[in-house]
This record gives sequence, structure tokens and C-alpha cells, in this order.
Amino acid sequence: MPAIQIPTQKWSGKVREVTLGATAADGGTRAKTVTVGGATTLPFLHFDGETPHAPVVAIEIQDRYPEDWSPILLEVWGDAAKDPASWAKAAEEKGADLIYLKFALNDDLSGDYARKIVRQVLDATGLPLIVFGPGQVEQDNDILVSVAEEGEGERLVLGVCEEKNYRTIVAAALAHGHLVDARTAMDVNLGKQLNILISDMGLPLDRIVMDPTTGALGYGMEYGYSVMERLRLAALQGDGMTQLPMLVTPGEETWRAKEARTDEGVPESWGDWTERAINWEVLTTSTLLESGADIVVLRHPESLKRVKGMINALMSH
Amino acid sequence: MFLLTCPLSHLLTGSNKGVIIATHTVHLEPSGKTAQAATGALLTDVIREAGLDFNIPCGGQGRCGRCAVIAKDSAGIRRRSTVRLSQKDLSAGYALACQTVVEGDARITIPPQEKIERRLTTDKTAGKVSLPFVYSYLDHQSLRLFPLTIEAPSLGDQTDDWSRLKRSLAANHNVSNLVADLPVLQKLGQSLRDNHWQVTAIVEMKTWDRPKGPPRLIALQPGSSPLSGPLIEGQTRNLWAAAVDIGTTTVSLYLVNLLTGEIATKAAEYNGQIRRGEDVISRIIFAGKENGLQDLQTLVVDTINKLAERAARRAKIKPQEIYRMTVTGNSTMIHLLLGLPPSSIRLDPFVTTINQPPPVRAGELGINICAQANIECLPGVASYVGADISAGVIGSQMCGSQALTLFLDVGTNGEMVLGDCDWLISCACSAGPAFEGAGVQDGMRATIGAIEEVWVNNDTFEPTYRVIPNPRLEARDEATPPRGICGSGLISLLAEMFITGVIDKGGHLNFTLESPRIREGEHGPEYVVAWGADTEEGRDICITKVDIDNLMRAKGAIYAGFAVLAESIGIELEMVERFLIGGSFGQYINVEKAVQIGLLPDLPWERFDFLGNTSLRGALLALLNDTYHRQVAEAASKMTYLELSADNTFYDAFTSALFLPHTDIEKFPSVAKVLG
Amino acid sequence: MALSGLQIYKLLPGSSKNPEVKKHANCKECGFPTCLAFAMKLGQKQAKLSQCPHVEEESKSRLEASAAPPIRLITLSADGHKATAGNETVIFRHEKTFYHQASLFVKVKDNQADAADVAAAVGAYTVDYVGMDLTLDGIAIEDAGGDFAATVKAVKEASSFPIILLTDDPVKAEAGLKAAAGTTPLLSAATPDNWEAMAKLAKQYKAPLTVRAADGDLNALVELAEKVKGAGVEDIVLDPGVRDYSSSLAVFTQLRRLALKKNERKVGYPIIAFAGDDPMLAGQHIAKYGGFVVLDSFSPGTAYPLLVLRANIFTDPQKPIQVQPGIYEINKPQPDAPMMITTNFSITYFSVANELESSGLPGWLLVADAEGMSVLTAWAAGKLDAERIAKGVNTFGIADKLSHRRLILPGHVAVLMGELEEELPDWEIKVGPREAVDLPNYLKTQWG
Repeated sequence: MPAIQIPTQKWSGKVREVTLGATAADGGTRAKTVTVGGATTLPFLHFDGETPHAPVVAIEIQDRYPEDWSPILLEVWGDAAKDPASWAKAAEEKGADLIYLKFALNDDLSGDYARKIVRQVLDATGLPLIVFGPGQVEQDNDILVSVAEEGEGERLVLGVCEEKNYRTIVAAALAHGHLVDARTAMDVNLGKQLNILISDMGLPLDRIVMDPTTGALGYGMEYGYSVMERLRLAALQGDGMTQLPMLVTPGEETWRAKEARTDEGVPESWGDWTERAINWEVLTTSTLLESGADIVVLRHPESLKRVKGMINALMSH
Repeated sequence: MFLLTCPLSHLLTGSNKGVIIATHTVHLEPSGKTAQAATGALLTDVIREAGLDFNIPCGGQGRCGRCAVIAKDSAGIRRRSTVRLSQKDLSAGYALACQTVVEGDARITIPPQEKIERRLTTDKTAGKVSLPFVYSYLDHQSLRLFPLTIEAPSLGDQTDDWSRLKRSLAANHNVSNLVADLPVLQKLGQSLRDNHWQVTAIVEMKTWDRPKGPPRLIALQPGSSPLSGPLIEGQTRNLWAAAVDIGTTTVSLYLVNLLTGEIATKAAEYNGQIRRGEDVISRIIFAGKENGLQDLQTLVVDTINKLAERAARRAKIKPQEIYRMTVTGNSTMIHLLLGLPPSSIRLDPFVTTINQPPPVRAGELGINICAQANIECLPGVASYVGADISAGVIGSQMCGSQALTLFLDVGTNGEMVLGDCDWLISCACSAGPAFEGAGVQDGMRATIGAIEEVWVNNDTFEPTYRVIPNPRLEARDEATPPRGICGSGLISLLAEMFITGVIDKGGHLNFTLESPRIREGEHGPEYVVAWGADTEEGRDICITKVDIDNLMRAKGAIYAGFAVLAESIGIELEMVERFLIGGSFGQYINVEKAVQIGLLPDLPWERFDFLGNTSLRGALLALLNDTYHRQVAEAASKMTYLELSADNTFYDAFTSALFLPHTDIEKFPSVAKVLG
Repeated sequence: MALSGLQIYKLLPGSSKNPEVKKHANCKECGFPTCLAFAMKLGQKQAKLSQCPHVEEESKSRLEASAAPPIRLITLSADGHKATAGNETVIFRHEKTFYHQASLFVKVKDNQADAADVAAAVGAYTVDYVGMDLTLDGIAIEDAGGDFAATVKAVKEASSFPIILLTDDPVKAEAGLKAAAGTTPLLSAATPDNWEAMAKLAKQYKAPLTVRAADGDLNALVELAEKVKGAGVEDIVLDPGVRDYSSSLAVFTQLRRLALKKNERKVGYPIIAFAGDDPMLAGQHIAKYGGFVVLDSFSPGTAYPLLVLRANIFTDPQKPIQVQPGIYEINKPQPDAPMMITTNFSITYFSVANELESSGLPGWLLVADAEGMSVLTAWAAGKLDAERIAKGVNTFGIADKLSHRRLILPGHVAVLMGELEEELPDWEIKVGPREAVDLPNYLKTQWG
């Protein structure tokens, strides 16, 4: 009987390598940098091609104490969450690869305030930093331009950079040596289009991470899942404008969902709250990692631990 | 450039000893001027230096093609770039002056730039209306004129008027079994007596649903002179009929003399139903309201009446002298004309009341031509592929060919048919009325005063445009001030703004450019195409961001239709051998521009043909020859309809086409080359 | 290999060179308007070749060959409950859809005292997700040196779910099969050592049979599958003997590719996967090609997210999940809280509900039955019009809950305002923002 041939798939394309953060040698102050991308295969299929860099996990911290967060999260982070610098330190201790700093929507957000917070966090941790505004075009523009100046040379990731405001954010990234998080709404074409627009402004492709948006498990995750799978396939097939690492925020999405956020008035069949909530976060994340995520942003340290374990297991071969 | 700004004599006699600078004589026709030029001189400079007024709309980029000249045998010149020229253009001797240098004595013809007759193959002109057969009134026409001299009644012959007329018709013209509607009979006695029993009977011998007759008397005209002679003193004999295309946005009409098959005049007007909703869906919804259907029917009938009146006035006749009318239109338009409730067209499973309506009398519909004239609606295929498309398939003659052909009809819906002589598959996508100039702030139909082509200068972002001229002003050599922008102008404007970077690939205006024309207007960001000082109404003509979005959606929907249609049966768009385009864009479409914005696929220019309004042409063919009516029905019966709304792949194809030219630039290699 | 619509058309009467066949071109006897329309439906597997009475013999054999499923359909059953795997046609769900959702089995051991209780709990577990009742699919009973047959019997009595018999011992297997009489269990597994006896049992008891190789050795797996098939067992399930993340992903992907891309019939069977106690590994098996997925334990806090994950992955991308039309309360609204309209497309609903929930603003959400379409799509297709909205307002009894008569229409369908005013004369219609993300700001600034 003829032997079965292992059906390998050689792709012509390769995901671009993107480095987050800069050490003193490169004009920054980070203790280390993080490089993602470089894969020549679909996620973790080592028999098909190379995966030089494992996906990485960022922990989300906020500029002020997030009172609206689930009690599970507030309890586990405790007092650390009351100050962004201590929170960043705590996240680093728990094993985060990156810090993701999100400014919550607030009336008295200002450029100066944002500078101050970013400086505190940069001083508190040696990890590369991702900085997100509250997601409203005007505030994002205001604070991110200041953040870009304050973090000059640090190769921060600035987000979100959307079709609505990409010119402002990209200009700030260009001027101060940062990266952008190019976010589009769960659509392969929109994702690619934004990358083209950004790259047309002159920002090198290795300074863009693609953020195709996701929903949590049960809240549209399958759309994000298929969009990411399609984007990664296009990248491997040689489509240069999709060959970028992907960042998603399953932590934020999960903890917005009722299943993770609360235990009030929920059916008995939902089971134990903490067990359910952590499962919600890790399952959303692991599924997205297998469809192509390179950077995942989580909220719970237990999820961080489990997801890192999964990534390690998938990287071994 | 330097060489020519110096006095020539200086160069020739100067002190550059040892450097041989050859100079050449360039003859410039038709001005008859000659110029001296050094080797390597740019032709545009030579022409200007000779004192001739010569425009370079794109600023000498070799992009717009407006500086094309003819160098008959190409002697003495070298084309530095031929990107903009096809093989056909080259063999015709075309060269772009801004991309051509002098290398020897040359003879150049400069076509009149402002009255451009010459067109490169990328500037396609809609085909002239020519018939695919030699029309003969006697062989092809079912509507006939019969001169009759009827014996007046007497006490000795008390035969009734009707029998008398029938007897005469049978005896002289071998027409029997004549029938007539009551209103004809009501006027019969008076008419015969008023005309002293000398009349010409207008008889419809058959219709498509009654191929064996019986013949039907439609009207009587005074006088009985033979067809070859004048009807009455000083008046030529004619037999009038009309072909009508009811578009969702535009209604068009040909007034045709059935004796000769000639089109006497053409008239077009926005469909009066527009004020009740711009697209088919809104009209269907409106028709569902109380009196809505009746209202819409009245509006379209009024539009047709207005066109018939206008055409009749131009032909110096009364509209009531029009004795037959064929009508095409999408299924909704036909339903609304006939007063059939269209609600089921829009709802799953998308069926019409009737795809092949029978002929009805003009009087029943309130159409103000001869009341007994038949209105014949051509057959359609399905809810969203109506008679306009089956008529278009016949009008474009795509059925008869082995070549894989894609036929596109751009109206408010983009309807398209792919196939060859063996099979046909069609779909419809909602493009909106933007390409008909509607739903765009300064849009208009392709009539006098419409900007029909635009070029934008690469460095200054200043536009140059061509306006459809007013013949009276043109005769006095005066420029026609623009009133708005028609479909072809919008396509060319969008392409030029994109190529010059006035807008980015997402259609956003680039405010970082230094130009007073890019500004924040009353309705958001906009680009000024013509300053108020230059326009007819003294108002700036602009294209707004909203307009740009509308145009992008329209072109995206159409391209997505191509993509999904091709994918559904497993072919690549590049395999399409002939690309036929009908619709009411206006007469001139620039293929290159349409490709640059991603409206049309990036195929060799030679594969495209613009046919003008193919639906109207189908109505004309059916009016002149009954066999075409049958062919329309046959095409309709073998056409497979692909329902796009049931399909996510359409949405995907649509969003990827909502970009300039397309999210996948690989699909548009020629545009990628231009962008560099 | 699947044929395209046009390739199929070339084999149908419409395209025949034989005039006797060609005369039936577009005859409509198949129920479709043209041969090409029928060809396209055949290509999408939405029609059967037998619907065409005039297809030529030669064409028939070519078309049938291309239509045979590359992965055999295997069904386990008990008391009306079924667990089905196979018949998949794509590697990625976006290419078409995954047809048979991975069946989730919970394992009990035959030396486990509470085996029957666990089986009962698994069988009884049900959880609501957007109006669907999600359940697990079966119980796997592992031979751990206890009384296998008695455990099988107890499990069978405790739940009405299909069973997997996990034993390599043909004697225990037969006892288990007897105890499972009246159901179609999966016998798991045949190995190079026991395959003859196992194959015999599988044939005798008409049970599908797992073949197991060690460490992902596909050649050994195929060899075993061929032997078992040679012994007369048609219904085969593959266990390539891998248990960790990395090898499972690699080997399962290879098997799916071999079956679909290489047309390798010898591996054209569903896969059984073991996830141990790791929900993320179970998640990987659900998304990446496990047909029957066995979990080591049952806990609602794990079962619920896994069932939702499965529902998501196996949703037909062409037919998105819908939520139940009706009135939804967000953040405990009072009678004076705003009332908003949206459609029952799950993503549309979730984006509106999530924006509201996280904003903390209370509100009433009227989810109209738009047959699972988003606002704009539904409007274009006539699934969201004034009549449907008015029907929702009137039938869901929203008026009784409100102290006002104002409702907010999605900005995308502002065009419906006039008609809606006619349909609901007592109501004031307000036009809201187009995107859900702008809703909180709209409510803060425009509602008051």
C-alpha cells in the first residue's frame, strides 16, 4: 500500500514581522521589545511553515480605577488597579508580555493628563506599551497626539486608528516613531482598505498592526473568527496589504458580556460564575489565536496564565 | 524647453562650436504654420512656441490624452510614452504632444481641441442607432396605411358605412375580417362624410399575441392619395409610432416614421415618479399606499405624454397622430405603467404579476396618442430583470455570438447578463441613480450644459472640462456655460480626482493639498469643479463627499455584480471577450476612466463597446419588426436569473469594490501602473 | 472534486450535442427555470441529479462521482437522540459552512461510583442561547477495570443519549454492546492488536468502529482502517492517537486536507478527539475538525461556554444567528426610559444591546422580526418596514410599559418615518443614529 503523503501547504506569502517597543539602543527606554509576525503558515501548523514568533498576551490596565468592571476583576487586581503605574507592575509580575493602557471615556480627559499617565506607566514597567484612547474620534485625536509626543521613540502602539481619524493618528505615529492599531469592523475588505490608506500616507507596513475587531464568545465571535482566518489566508497567499500581525481585545469583549460581568439573575445552567467567566475569556481568546491573532489583550490574570500555557503547548513540535 | 525659450537664431549661430545641434522643421496643420525645433524638443513646446493656443489639461502628464495630435507616418517624431494609446490609435498616427519629442522634420495635424471629434479608443462613443436589417415597411411592418376611395351611399345602395369601408378595403387591398373598437365606429360616419369618402385607413394587421390577426382599424386619415404621393397638398405622408424606454430615473422616446423606419426625433426626461422615491424599492413601497399606485401610474403617463408632445412638436405633428407604441422598462416600471400592483416583486420569492403583458389601448392608460393605438410592453425575465434587459440583449445582439459576452445596462439598477449563444445568466444590483446625474448635488442628464468630461491638473489640482454645447452658442463660436455634471462627467471627475490625489482610495477629500477648490461646504467636504463666475446659474458647481460616496456605492454595486455573476458559474472576468455597455450615461464614456474608478473590469479597451440606450433600441427593433419581439421573448425564456440579495458573497464583493479602484489592486493592473 | 456551475451545465441537456437530448433544453421538469439554474443548484448541493429526467448516462456518472461526500457520515443514536459527524465539504467555515456540529461527549469510568448520576446530569443539562436550547450529545464509558457492562447499562438507563464504548478488550466490548442494545453506540477502538475481533463485533452489532493508531501515525491509521473495512465495517471513526494541542491540530488538519483536497477516500471518516479536562483543548477540537469530542468531566460553567462556542463555529455564515423578536429590557428601564427599534439579526442586536448595557443607560429595545437581517439589508429586502415595526409595537404590548409615546428609529431607515407615523398615529417617531456606537451619546443629548 502506498504511504500516505502528509499534505503540506507551502504559501508564497509571509506575515510581516512587527516589533513593539524600543530599548535604549533604539531610542526608547523599554527593558525588552516584543516581535510578532513572521509566520509562513496558518497558526501553529508547524509542518507547513515557520512560526518564528509566538503570539503574545497583553494585559489591559486603565488610567483610572474602573468602577464599572466586573467585581471578579476588581477583586483579583485589588489595590493595584487604583493606580496605573502599580497596575502595570502587577501585570508585568503576572507574566504579561505587553501592557495595554486604555483611557476610559471621561469629560476631563486632556492631552496633558494623558501625557502624565503614560509617563507613569512607562516609568513603572519595562514592557512595551500599547495605548488606546476611549474610542471616540475627538478625544482619541486629542490624547493620542500628546501621547505620541510624550512617548517619542518608544515604538508605542497607538489605537484606535480608524478610517474616520486615520490621518491624525498616522501623522502622530510618523512624527514620533510609533505604530498604529488599524481597527475596522469585522470585515476583510475594510481591514485591507484601511491598511492601504495608512500605508499610502507613508507609514511603513511594519509599523501597523491590524485590528479586525472581535465579538466575545456568543456575541459575534464567529464573525471575527472567520474574518481573521480569511485575512491570514490572504496574507499567506501573497496579498501584501493583509500581511500584518493582528491584535484583538477578547478581554474587553468578554467582560462586557453578561456571562462574565455578573451573576445576578442568571440561570442556574450557567454554572459557577468565576469558572464561567474565565472560560469565557480563555475560550474566546484561544479560538481567535487559532484563527490568526498575534496579540491578544486580556483582563484576568488567570486567563493570562492559561492562555500562555496554551500558546506554549501549541508552539512546541 | 531651454532650447526653445532662447531665440532660435542664437542657438544656430551661437558659440557652441563643436556641438552639433540639429534643428528640424515641423509643419503644423491645419494652421499651416511651421516651427523650427531642436532634436529632443517636446512637441507641446513646439506647438506653443509657434503661437498656437494649445491646452494640456492634465499638465503634461500624458494622462488625459487631450493633447493628442496626428503624425501621419510618424516620421521625425518619437513617442516617449504610448501608455495612453492603443494599437489602433497608434496605427491611426496618434501621438500625445506632451509625450512626444522631435527628432527630424515632421508634419503634425492638430485636431480642433475644443470641438473634439477625434477620440482615442478609450473615449468610447455610444454606437449610432443603426438597424441590423434593411427595413422595409411592406415586409416588416404590421401597422399599415390603406388609401381608400369609397363609393358614397345612395338610395340604391344603402349598405352601412362600416360594411362599405370593409368592402372597399377587401376589394382594393385584400384585407378582410376587419374589426374596430367602438370609439372608432362612433366617429366613422362623420369622418367619411367630412372627407368626401376619400380616406386612408390605418390598420393594425396583427400583434405578437395575435399573429393571425384579425386586422384592426385604428383611425382614418383624410385623403386617399397613394402612399408614394403627398397626403394633402404640401404635406408628406408619414406613419408615426413611438418606442419608449421607461427607466427608473429617465424616460426616453424615439418618434419613428414607420414608412421609412427613420427616427424623426428623440426626447428624454426624468421620470416624474422620482419625487415619490428614487429607487425601485421606494416606488414599490409607495405603490402600496392608498392611491399610491394610481399616483405613480399618472406620473409616468404624464412623463410619456410630455415626451410624446415634445417629439410631436418637433416633427410638426399632433401626438394623436402616433398610432403605435412599444415600451420597455424594468418589471416595476412596466407594472406601474399598467397599474399592476408591484408589491410581490420585492418580496420573497420575488415574482411579478405578469412577465409578458398583452397589448393595451393607449386610451385605457391615459397615454395621449391616438386612443386606439396599442401600447405593447416587451417581455421580461423576472422581478429584477425586466423587459429592458431582454430588449437590451436583443438590442446588443449578444445572443448570436459564440464569444463570451458580458452585457451591462446601467440605469438606476445595474443589470447585467453574461453568456454566449448557448446560455445566459443575469443579475441586478441596486446602483442608484448617480450615473444618470440624479441624487448628486450638481448632477444632471446628458443634455446641453452638462459637463461631460473633466481633467484635473496633477500639480495645481485645477480642472478643465468639456461641456455638451448649445448649438446656437457653438455656431457663434461661444463657449456653453456649464449647468451641472452628467454621468460620464461624474465618472471622469471621480477618476481624475483619484489619480491626482484630490481624493484618497477611500474617497475622502485630501485637505492637506493646497487648493481653494477643496473646501468645507454647506453639505460637508467638497471640490469645486466650476466657479460661479463661469457657470450658467452663477453658482459654484461642486462635487461633495456625499456625492462621491454615492458614486462609489454605485460603481461598487455594479462591479460586485460582475464579480458575483462570474463566480457563480465559475469563470474569471478576464475571460470575457466582449463587453457591451448600454444605459443612459450620456454619449461619451471614457473606458479608461471607468476602469480607473473600478466601475468596469480592467480588460483591454478594445473589448468594450458602448451601445447607448440598448433598452430603447430593443423597443425600436420590436416596433419595426415583429420577429424581434419574438426574439426578446426567447432570450427571456432561456435566461437564468441570479438573485443577489439572497447571497452574502455579494455583500463581500460589494465592500471590496467600495474602494478606488478596488481593494485588490491586482485586479486592476493598468491602474496600478498609472499610480506607479 | 466539485464542479462549477458552468462545468455541470456542460453535462446537462441544455448543452448537449445530441439533438434528442438537446430538445429538452430548459424544459423546467427539474423544477428550475433553466438548465443553468439547475446546474448551479446542483453545484451548491441544493438539488439532486435525479430531478433531471433527461441527463445522459455518461454525464450522470461524472456528476455522481463529483457529488459523493468525501467524509463519511456517521450517526450514533439512542432513544431519538442522535450524534452525527461527517459529510463536511470545506476546511474553513467561511468557504461554505460546517454542516454537522461536533458532538460533545462526557466520559465516565466503569469504576466510578457516580457514573449514572453524571450521565443523568449530562442528559438533563440544557441551556438557552438566543432562544436555542443547547445540550450535550452523549456519554463515553471508559473501561477502567470495573464492571463495564453494568456501567453501560446504568448509563443507558440514566440518560437517553448515545454512547461511546471506550475499551480495547473485545470481551468487554461485546458485553458493553449487549448492554447498549437498542442504541447505535460507537465502539472505540480497534487497534493493530485487536482489530479482527473488534471488526467482527462492529459488524455483528451494527456499531460504528473507531480505529486507533499511535502518535499520529497516519500510515498505520490508514492500514488499520483498510483492514477493518476489508472485514466488512463501513462506518469508521478515526483516532490518530494524539492528545496534545499541537499534534491534534496538525494531524486533524492533515486528515481533513487529505479527505477534501487530495480526495483520499481511505481517511474519509470523522475523527474522535479527547480533550481531557481542558476547555481550550475542547474548543480547539470543536473548531478544528473533531467530529466526536470527549470531555473528562461535566460542569455547567464549562459546558455552557463550550456549547456556545460550538453554536458559533457551526453557524452557517450565510444564515446568521437570530435572536427572538420581542421587547428586551436593558439596565432595568423605568416607564420613562427611551424605546428603541432594532432587528433580530444577532450581531445587530448585540451591538445595540452591548452599547446600551455598557453605557449604563436604561432603555427598552424592541427587536422586530426582520428574519435575521441587519437594519439596512432588512429594509432593502422588505423585511423591515413600517408595518412590521407597528406590528411589533402593537403585539409586544410595549405601550403598557411606557409612560410616553416616543420611539427611536434606526438612522439607516429614517425613510420609514412618514409611513410609521401613519401606522402609529399616537406615537412620536424620532430618528436615531445610524450606528449603535453613537446611541449612548444620542440618548444623552437628544432624549430628554
